[in-house]
Amino acid sequence: MSESHDDPLIARVAGELRRPVPLSPDFDARVMAAVRRAPPRLPVRVWAWVREPRTVAVSPLGGLAMAAGVAALVLVGAWGSRPSAISHRPSAVRAAGTAPSVTFVFLAPQASSVALAGDFDGWDAARLPMRREGPGLWTVDVPLAPGRYQYAFVVDGRRFVPDPSAPRASGEDFGTPTSVVTVGGAARVAGGSL
Amino acid sequence: MRQDEADGELVLRALGGDEEAFAGLVARHRGRGIRFAMAMLGDASDAEEALQDAFVRAYRGLKGCREPDRFGAWFLRILVNRCRTRGARRRVGAMFVRDEAAMERAAAPRGEDPEWREEIERALARLDPMQREAFLLKHVEGMEYEEMARLTGARIPALKMRVKRACDHLKVLLREVDDVRVP
Repeated sequence: MSESHDDPLIARVAGELRRPVPLSPDFDARVMAAVRRAPPRLPVRVWAWVREPRTVAVSPLGGLAMAAGVAALVLVGAWGSRPSAISHRPSAVRAAGTAPSVTFVFLAPQASSVALAGDFDGWDAARLPMRREGPGLWTVDVPLAPGRYQYAFVVDGRRFVPDPSAPRASGEDFGTPTSVVTVGGAARVAGGSL
Repeated sequence: MRQDEADGELVLRALGGDEEAFAGLVARHRGRGIRFAMAMLGDASDAEEALQDAFVRAYRGLKGCREPDRFGAWFLRILVNRCRTRGARRRVGAMFVRDEAAMERAAAPRGEDPEWREEIERALARLDPMQREAFLLKHVEGMEYEEMARLTGARIPALKMRVKRACDHLKVLLREVDDVRVP
């Protein structure tokens, strides 16, 4: 079937149609105004929410029904063959039956799998796989009783990545730097921004 | 926005609520978008509205951009759909609406031969919309058929047929004009 690739008339038509077409001078402003009016969908709300540093305060009373706290952590670093933003922002503590659940969020666009490992699960990279919630966005909820925990992210089943925005553990249990999250009391962990 | 900042990085920043990052994506992809929308719809106002609508939908659905580094291809799919909807709504094909103000605004950069451009637009307007879309994606956007199939949802043989018929039709419509114009 001829596709007329080489037809000079078609080539001239295509060339004419490739010329730049001007836009109204205020086009960008109108688009961004419309974007601001558009209700953001879940990821934006989640991100806006997790961006805010907040206090972690878990009450042992009242069935631990009160939510309390956030650990915010951001990691921006090199990944594979090209640099990419990796960010972990943090950790909402919400009501649960017996222990508050901490939500870990990790941004790793190049990863095919991410898991959370820490001293709360015996550093077992298979026990807490993270779910892909969006482009490169990984999350997992972990019930954690008030206390201090060490953790790291396990990318593609082999690479342990600490969180540079979180406090580093003084001892390196796993032969690689790990991070610390504190749940309970008036602990406060604040992160930077993307 | 840094010039060397990849689309994927802008998408991820925009997902984090960074409006400037999304503005960077708009600035980077509006040129190709308006070129396609204008050729599809033939009217500057309609084309701008379709493009704006596509950007807003892209922003709201950014989570669905599974390959952030290929934002451009993902966005073009949205724009193609917006142009289809808008075109169907106003029954494109009968004739293009002339927007004199837009034409005046567009006059300067539209090449050295506005009459030739008008003949092309008139011929494009007479094509079946699906043929016009396939022709633009293939010959103006330079896409491969596999990519066109992913974007449009049509099968490759059908796309090849649309492109062929579009070319045949354009040649018939424009040959006579061209013969007169080019000694």
